[in-house]
Amino acid sequence: MPEFIKTYVRWVDCVNRIIGRFAMYLIFAMLAVLLYSAATKLMEFPALWTLETAQFLMVSYFLLGGGYSMQLDSHVRMDLLYGALSPRKQAGLDAITILFLIFYLAFLLYGGVSSTSYAFEYGETSYSAWSPPMSPIKAIMTFGVFMMLLQAIATFFKDVAAARGESLS
Amino acid sequence: APYVKAQNAKITWRLQTYAGPALGEHVIKPAIDAFNKVANGEMEIELYYADQLVPTGELFRAMQRGTIDAVQSDDDSIAAPVDISVFGGYFPFATRYSLDVPVLFEEYGLNEIWDEAYSEVEGVKWLSAGSWDPCHFATVDPINSLEDLKGKRVFTFPTAGKFLSRFGVVPVTLPWEDIEVAVQTGELDGIAWSGITEDYTVGWADVTNYFLTNNISGAWCGSFFANEERWNELPEHLKVLFKLCMDSSHYYRQHWYWGGEAKLRTQGTKMKLTSIPDAEWATVEAEAHKFWDEIAQTSPRCAKVVEIFKQYAAVMEKAGKPYRYS
Amino acid sequence: MSYEMIALLMFSTMMLMLLTGKRVFGAIGFVAVVFALGMWGDGGSEMAFSAAMKLMKWYPLLTLPLFVYMGYMLSESGLADDLYRMFHVWMGPVRGGLAIGTIVLMVAVSAMNGLSVAGMAIGASIALPELLRRGYDKVMVTGVIQAGSSLGILVPPSVVLVLYGMIARQPVGQLWLAGVFPGLLMAGMFIIYIAIRCWLQPSMGPALSKDERAEITWGEKVGLLKAGIVPLFIFFSMTGLFLMGITSLVESSAVGALAATLAALFKRRLTRVVMEETLRKTLSISCMFMWIILAALAFGAVFDGLGAVRAIESFFVDQMGLGPWQILIMMQISFILMGMFLDDTAMLVIVAPLYVPLVGALGFDLVWYGVLYTITCQIAYMTPPFGYNLFLMRAMAPPEVTLKDIYKSITPFVIIMAMALGIVMAFPQIALWLPEWHYAR
Ligand code: NA
Ligand code: NA
Repeated sequence: MPEFIKTYVRWVDCVNRIIGRFAMYLIFAMLAVLLYSAATKLMEFPALWTLETAQFLMVSYFLLGGGYSMQLDSHVRMDLLYGALSPRKQAGLDAITILFLIFYLAFLLYGGVSSTSYAFEYGETSYSAWSPPMSPIKAIMTFGVFMMLLQAIATFFKDVAAARGESLS
Repeated sequence: APYVKAQNAKITWRLQTYAGPALGEHVIKPAIDAFNKVANGEMEIELYYADQLVPTGELFRAMQRGTIDAVQSDDDSIAAPVDISVFGGYFPFATRYSLDVPVLFEEYGLNEIWDEAYSEVEGVKWLSAGSWDPCHFATVDPINSLEDLKGKRVFTFPTAGKFLSRFGVVPVTLPWEDIEVAVQTGELDGIAWSGITEDYTVGWADVTNYFLTNNISGAWCGSFFANEERWNELPEHLKVLFKLCMDSSHYYRQHWYWGGEAKLRTQGTKMKLTSIPDAEWATVEAEAHKFWDEIAQTSPRCAKVVEIFKQYAAVMEKAGKPYRYS
Repeated sequence: MSYEMIALLMFSTMMLMLLTGKRVFGAIGFVAVVFALGMWGDGGSEMAFSAAMKLMKWYPLLTLPLFVYMGYMLSESGLADDLYRMFHVWMGPVRGGLAIGTIVLMVAVSAMNGLSVAGMAIGASIALPELLRRGYDKVMVTGVIQAGSSLGILVPPSVVLVLYGMIARQPVGQLWLAGVFPGLLMAGMFIIYIAIRCWLQPSMGPALSKDERAEITWGEKVGLLKAGIVPLFIFFSMTGLFLMGITSLVESSAVGALAATLAALFKRRLTRVVMEETLRKTLSISCMFMWIILAALAFGAVFDGLGAVRAIESFFVDQMGLGPWQILIMMQISFILMGMFLDDTAMLVIVAPLYVPLVGALGFDLVWYGVLYTITCQIAYMTPPFGYNLFLMRAMAPPEVTLKDIYKSITPFVIIMAMALGIVMAFPQIALWLPEWHYAR
């Protein structure tokens, strides 16, 4: 494998690991917001922004965590036929099938960019009484998808390497 | 739908409404069925309900991009990117009767203002506004005074919610279809979204116990929109047919809501009626007029709309009975 | 091509994609995007991201990461160790007693978390090695743990029932309560099976020896009952407060997660390692589910746009000319067949929207149907080739348990689950009595 691919894979792994480790802790933010919500409700003065904020945190959590979850190999597959193959053949098949995943992520990103640019262009706010601007959360979501795409491409290189009997990581 | 269209020269549109299936049965389906029948195979409109193809928040963008061809909704809940979207939906105390809306649009120039506002947005054509039902509270616990509103988590329209938060209401926005369950799971204490007809039709009367007879608006205004390119492509006779069908949808609401409100208030068994005393409610109305003035500050066009509301209200007051009794 | 044909083509393409062994979310998302583009051209290009906005607005999904967190906090911090010891000591003297105790442990763990992973982790790490050491039959105990942990989605709280509630628009409180008796019924059936099997073949589950029993004093026995306090505390703070109407659903999941953390802290088990493991695994599992749901929502919207609901209805009602019960049974069978090959969240998001409206239109109770669906998911978790419990078991089992053992182990339990499904179908009150009683008060 050429050196620049190795560098790319190393960088993407590293950046996604950092972002993913950060996202991992967002669960505490979700916890805190919802506990605050429960507490203010008991005091008969529930806050306006808690549910929506928790929702923003939730999508950030799994979209920003996406790349790291790929590294952790969290995503299940049906291995009826796949499981019977040798590791090298599996990698070969992976190198092909991940192209479909990349295709999907590319359109996810395309939609994200379009939706985010709309949010910026028209100053879109959420259709709620709190009505926070939507551009920041959409930008975060789109960034998460982008990093997932980069990770999928890195995984593609790893699969190709593994299929050729090399190792990239 | 390129290749679907290619095999049969029929024009196919996808229209998504704000309503779920139970409500859509009344407020849109008859009009669409009639359209499809009269179009006689030349055109077919496929009807989709709330959040079915596209989530409500993305509806406007989806129409712009042609993911869907037409939308039925108020301007407020799809966060339409125009200054006047605050008036679409329940603008507090802007109307007293459902007939007020068509009069304002047809006779007092709102049609032109709406058309102008949406012409500034790329790719979307505003078509027609109609009068929908009044806005009342349906709640689990009774409301007998303004004090009872404090801390209530209520599903409502964004602008109505902003206004109601001045009285301690906590407005919550969720997908329309999730409301019934959200009341049952405790996410919501009630709903300020509709009149009693809708409460019974969509099942909210089954999960709430009380209906507040005071309303913050006599009727809301909701609109039809279309992707501009799709609209321009339609032959003239189909455009006319579509307009007739929108009018028939608006008309259906006039009798269905007006008759339903009185019938269910007197004969309904699922909700108990409560009221806030008139003197206390007058403070809400007074607050609404302050709110109008604040909205008027946001843009010259909004100021114009508020001015029209005021002018119209004055005429109605002066005309006296049967237009206004107070 | 008619819309029905396109819908069929779409579904079969997805199944084919899954067979290649690519990641499930990728297979589903790819098919969704390709068909959206084919159907709607440029207009379809944003359907995939629209699904992300839809997912965000599905507020009950907030419970998912929090329930997963809770489950891992329970298993990683070893909170269940005492509990296991309690059942072990109390049930040990009976033939097959440790296996029975494991089922009871699984019921307790199920009442504290909403998925099967925590049960699997606890069962495989604590119970399995001990059962094997004591000479229990490895095939049977492998099945015991898989089947027992699947109760996690039927005994409240349950993530599957939360997801079902979102699709079927049914209240989660009622659904959770509806799962209680069917869950206990199924646990009871597991226990009867184990007891009979071990009574007939004592070698499969030897009782504790006299000497060992003598070592355990009554004082210790009674003292161990204290292990039940923590589960009760967690159950009350989450499910209890929710059913009492004090916390809302999503808040209750946060309260539950806090309770589990506090319990670990109180027991001095909240170490750095535990926290790290819990957080990382929570992210890992949550991402897996969320990315599948994200792709499945896009798939579902396109599927819906093709009029698949109408197609299903006309297929069952008009073309097959079936009666309501025949349709219901056909649906359950098709769910079980799909469950062998498909992830249950994808199945729920894609197939349930097609079935549920028809079930409602046929006059069946949708709360009851939620329980039937959940039992089907339990079966799906265990049936090869695709099942979460199978995957987890393969990852966690000690080397002497082979893949063949794992596959073999599920047969009796799947039969019992199918029987339980039949019983709940025949007697809906098993599910419906408790929610009706609770909400009538
Ligand atoms: Na559970
Ligand atoms: Na399966």
